[in-house]
This record gives sequence, C-alpha cells and structure tokens, in this order.
Amino acid sequence: MKNKMWKKVAAIATASMMVLSLAGCGGSSNAGDANNAANAGSTENAESTESADNTVENVETAEESGGEKIVLKFSFDQGVGEPTQKIVDKFNASQDKIQVETVILPQDANTVHDDFVNKLASGDTSVDIMGLDVVYVAEFASAGWLADLSGYLGSDITDQMLAGTVEAATYDGKLVAAPWFTNSSVMFYRQDVLDELGEEVPTTWEGWMALADKAVGINGIEYGADFQAAQSEALVTNWVEYVWSNGGDILDANGTPVINSEQNVEATEIMKKLVDEYAPEGVTTYTETESEQVFKEGKCLFIRDWSGFWTSGQGDDSKVTGLIAATKLPVGPSGTESHTCLGGLDLVVNNNIDDTQKDAAGEFIKFMTSQETQKEMTLISSQPPVIKAVYSDAEILEAIPFYSDFFGIIEGGKSRPKSPKYAKVSDAIQRNIHQAMTGEMEVKAALDALQAEVEELSK
Amino acid sequence: MWGGVYAGGCTPFCLTLDAENSPDIPDSILGCGRMEEMILGKKKKNSSIMKTEARDAWIMMAPAIIVLSVVAVYPIIRTVWLSLHEMVLTDPGSGYPLIGLKNYTAIFKDKRAVESIVFTLKFTVTTVCFELLIGFTAALIMNKPFKGKGIVRAAILIPWAIPTSVSAMMWKFIYNDQYGLFNDILLRFGVIDKYKAWLSTADGSFMALVITDVWKTAPYMALLILAGLQMIPEELYEAAEIDGASVFQKFFYVTLPTVKTTVLVALLFRTLDAFRVFDLISVMTGGANGTESVSVYTYNHLMKFLDFGYGSAMAMMIFAVVFIISLIYMRVLGDQITDR
Repeated sequence: MKNKMWKKVAAIATASMMVLSLAGCGGSSNAGDANNAANAGSTENAESTESADNTVENVETAEESGGEKIVLKFSFDQGVGEPTQKIVDKFNASQDKIQVETVILPQDANTVHDDFVNKLASGDTSVDIMGLDVVYVAEFASAGWLADLSGYLGSDITDQMLAGTVEAATYDGKLVAAPWFTNSSVMFYRQDVLDELGEEVPTTWEGWMALADKAVGINGIEYGADFQAAQSEALVTNWVEYVWSNGGDILDANGTPVINSEQNVEATEIMKKLVDEYAPEGVTTYTETESEQVFKEGKCLFIRDWSGFWTSGQGDDSKVTGLIAATKLPVGPSGTESHTCLGGLDLVVNNNIDDTQKDAAGEFIKFMTSQETQKEMTLISSQPPVIKAVYSDAEILEAIPFYSDFFGIIEGGKSRPKSPKYAKVSDAIQRNIHQAMTGEMEVKAALDALQAEVEELSK
Repeated sequence: MWGGVYAGGCTPFCLTLDAENSPDIPDSILGCGRMEEMILGKKKKNSSIMKTEARDAWIMMAPAIIVLSVVAVYPIIRTVWLSLHEMVLTDPGSGYPLIGLKNYTAIFKDKRAVESIVFTLKFTVTTVCFELLIGFTAALIMNKPFKGKGIVRAAILIPWAIPTSVSAMMWKFIYNDQYGLFNDILLRFGVIDKYKAWLSTADGSFMALVITDVWKTAPYMALLILAGLQMIPEELYEAAEIDGASVFQKFFYVTLPTVKTTVLVALLFRTLDAFRVFDLISVMTGGANGTESVSVYTYNHLMKFLDFGYGSAMAMMIFAVVFIISLIYMRVLGDQITDR
C-alpha cells in the first residue's frame, strides 16, 4: 500500500514538474521575453558581422583623429534597410566624432514594436536611436521611454516639415520624436479601363461604384474595388479614411469618442457595400500583400494602397505595369474633402542613454532630417519625405512625377487617434469593424459597441 | 529544451522518494546500495549508505536543478508576482501597485477572455479527437510489414518537421480565395461551384484551422502510437489466434489494452499543445472570426497592450488549466502503471 502511494506521489511530482516546464516554455511572459531577447540578440550579431568592414574602416579614421568615437546603435526595420544603410554610411564618412552602427530588424511592424518594448521596458541601453512607427509614439512617450528632442530640433527645422507629421511626433507638448519619412494612401486605378469607357476619374464613392458597375468585364476586370479589410492595422487605416472623407471622426476636438455618429455609420455602410458587392470575396482576409496581388493580376478596377505601390505595383511580376494612374481618395456623400491616413516612421531616442549619447543622437537626427538627406533618401527609397520643399524639387519631380499631385494628398492627411492606449483603441476598431464587414454584426450595432469600448478606454 | 527540462525535473524526486520509501524497487534503479545492504545485512549501515546515496543523487542532479530554476521556476514565480500587480507599462504613473487577485477576478468578468477559453477548448477537443483517429489508423497501417515501409514512416513525419508558422503561411495560401489549392480541388470534385474565401467566416476559419492542425500533428500521434504498437510481443497475437480470436477481438483485447498507456501519453502531449495553440492562429487568422485562442489573447495583453499584470494573470490561468489537464491524465496514467 505504502509503495503504491509513494509511486502516486512521485507521479504527481513528475506531472507537476512537466507542467511547470510546459508553462515555462509557453504560457509565461518571461519565457517569451527571453526568447525574443535571444532572437534580437542573434539579429544584432548577424548585423555586427555584416557591418564589420565598416567598423574596421572607422577604427582607422578614429586613430587618425586621435579621439574616441561615440558609437550609436540605430535600429529600424528591413523595409528601408538598404537605403538607410547608405545614408548612415554617408553620415559616418562626413564627420569623425560619431560612429553610427545599424541594427536591422525584420520588416514587420509588430515584431519591431515587440523588440523595442522588450529592450526599453527592461531599461536596456543597447540601442540608442530607433525607427518607430508613428502610431506607437504616444504609447512609448507615455511610458517615459523617449527622450525629449525639442532641444535638438528647433522650430526652424520643424517649420519646414509637414505639419501633420510634427503634430504626430509631439506628446504632452514635447517633441519626443523626429519625423523621418511619412506615408499616405492613394487610389490607384486602371487608366486603360477608364480610357476604354471614355470616363472621367470619379471623386466620390458613388462615382466609383457607378464606374465599377460598367467596368466589370472590360480588360479582364473582375472586381470593382480592392482594399485591405483583414482584422489588422491595415483595416484601421482603411476605415478611418472612409470616416474622415465623410466628415466624421473618431475623437472630437476634446478627445471624446464620436464613433457612432450618423456620418460614421454612413461611411461604414459604404465600406460594407464595397466588401459585399465590389471587392473580391476574400477582401476581409486581405492585408496589403494579398490585395496587391489581385490588383497586379489585372483583376481590379482600383486599389486603395500606400504610395510606395506606385513603384512596387509596376514591377516585372505585374500585369498592370504602365496601365495605372493615381488619384486622391474619394469623398463620401456627407464629406467635402478627402483625407488620407498618414503613416511612416519617426526617429526616437532611448531615454535611458546618457547625455553624451543623446547629444550625439541629436546630431545624427539633425542630419537625417536635413533637406539634403531627405531628398537623397527619397530618391533612393521613394519614401515620401517630411520636409515640404523636397516635394517641389526639380530632380525629385523628374524621378517621381506623381509627387506634384501627391503633395496635396499628403498635406490633407490625418493621423490616427493619438493615445497611449492606441494599441487597445486599434484592437477595438479592428474587431468591431471586421465583424461589421463580415456581416457578423450590423454596422450600427458594431459602431455602438466600438463607441462603448473606446469610451471605456478614454476614462 | 522541453525534453531536457522534463528529464531533469522529474528525476531528483523519483530518486529520492523511491530510495527512501519503496523497499521492493528493482535493484537496477538503486544499484549497488541494495547489494551492499544484502551483503552486510546491517540496518544502521544501510541508512548511512542511503543518506550518502541521496546526497550523491542531489549533487549529480544539481546542474539540472539549477538550469531548471533559472529557465522555468524563476519565470513562473516572476509571472505569479507580476499577475498580482496592476502593471500597464504605458502608465508608469500608477506606480505598479500590488492589487492582489483583482487581475484574476477580472478574467471571469472579461467576455473576450471567456470566449477565448471556450474557443480553445473547442479547438483542443476537435483537433485531438481527429488526430487520435487519424494517428491511430496511420500507426496501424505502418505497423504492418510492406514494401517501402521505411520511406512511408519517414515521409509521414514531414508535416510535423515543418515549423508551425511556415506551414500556417503555406495553408493560408492554400485557402486563398483567388489562387487557393483547396478551392481548386473542391471545384474539380464538384463540391463547390465557385471559389470561396474560407478564412473570412467563423465556420470556415475554424474548419481551416482544424484541418491544418490535424495535418501537422497527426503524424506525431501516429509515430508515438507506432512505437507503442511495436512493443506488443508477437506471441500475444499468436496465442489469441490459437484461441480463435477474430481480427476485431485481437484489436480490442490485445492491441488496445497494451497500447493504452502510450496512447494516453500521446494524448497528454497533444492536449497540452493544442490548448496552448498560438502560432497557427496568429499567422492564419490573427484571431479574427472568433478564433482567438487564450494564448493569442494573452499575447495581445502582454505584448500589444503592454498590460503585464493582466497578461500575467492570463498566463497563470493557462498554466492552471494545463496543470489540471495533466493531473487528470496523470491520474489515469498512474492507475495504468500501478494496475499492471
């Protein structure tokens, strides 16, 4: 008997240890953190070997000048990896006090966000400057992770920038981020189809729907509309544009949620109609990549996408190269003006690093936001700059003619609600609007639910 | 890591408990201590030898215990500690106060948390049932001698060998509404009359996730059960044949009772894995259409909302459920072992 009992105890002890180890691997946050940190570490290592030859060169120059160089680590995503590396190399060659080393992360906003959070939350100083998606600026600033940049970028510099980008980089009256490059969406459409039909470019949603009715069947067009409605951040950027272009808003001037307003219901109904009647059936599972694929196959009349699609949508793998044109987003029935959703990356400085490092980082940021660098970055990366003057630069207009119209679009752009709880607001929008799009919920009911959730969050 | 932690974790307990309290454990486990006891035949001597042995065992297990404490015990204790605080990283002004069990009570008031638990249980039960059925069948087939058996055994493991996030990406494309293979096949067989967006509805998403998970993990089940089947001595079947047992009788009275323990172990592993499903859902649906699993929801709280307090409480809840599932299985397994 005794023997049996002990065997049972041993078995339970075994079980508990198994479970402990299981939870350690999967359930608990810290194990996850450790994993992430390990991943980040390996990326860093890979990067440092890559830039090894750079470092060697610079050690030599450092010896020549006889002084110790300040080393800054600059971390951003792979999406702008190559052009940014070129610019950073140029900065390193231009002076002999500061050495900037790059730490390149995968091209995925969430991965980048999580990597920064892991480092900043633990007070880590292994990274000095980060390329941060504009929507996370408020969240990071409210956690006290971002250094105040007001001292480095005076109003003489910020006045040259697009007002919307500066506003998005300000938190609590302080400039906590430096706009680096911006992004906004455009309506890309099939010029060949419009020519075939002899139609003008519509400026309203009704106009586009009427056009889509006629366009299906012409030049391989199967779908009247194409956009991004998967439950993701892409859905948020799409939806706010319908809302803004219909005279609605998410928060009013006082920051009170005004989500279930009449204009917003009307705007969401338009989006729902496009999902139901005009877009490919799987549009509620599409993020940028999937929607672009269908458009590049030549099956859609138009696609709402980020400005960079102008180049990437007309590559060798595209069947619509040379057939597309771009215009601003249409306005809704109650709207007067079209507003695009602004995206892009800001440069932010880790608040945990010491003052010498911060000053050096300030120097680097001044370089990155100078008109000259911005122009060069735009030429090699086709990312929309934040310095206004670059848009009218002759060389730029020659390379990207579409920028002459684009400046107006980007100036009318709006930023998503600025809140330290943005992640939660975005999550609430994603879930409720997605349910409205898939028909799980009525549009009005979804907006009421969303209003209630955001009200709860803004308490 | 898992295997190592498991082995390192259980051994010290088994060793010490057995050595001190179970007189009829086979010599092979206790080794020379038992032999000396028999030769010397002295109780006093015996106890000091037992003590030395226990001490040696602890010394030998120390590295494993230390590693385990660092990688498993510390994170768990830390998670428990965090779960008792209000800790939202974007709100450092709160001072992260200790709030007791408030995070835990909040879970039960959180409709989304409850929905995610219900979904996860539904997903676990469905996938594990299908995996058991398919895995068992596959194991029975593979256990029969036929040409190319080795290749089949190796081939069946391929889905299991592919990293989940990769196979999830692959299957997401298979279910694509424009180019998906799944649509193509169904259309050819006349099951559907036009391409469908499988991942855009709740039922479609659930079905797609279950198929993908079963495709990926049934081979694992098959392999574990195959190992169990191969341990059944041929004589048992011969004896059954002499007694005039039919194929079904052989299966129900010889095969099933003998592999029961192996099947239970396989089920335990799969149930725990299925309950913690994360990467598959994160890649394929991102939690849309009511497919948010508890792990996905917990991840959102921890990494997206930076709510470490509530997120940790959710993580502990997963831990508790996983613990209960293990205990139930262990209870059954324990009976199995001791009944023999």
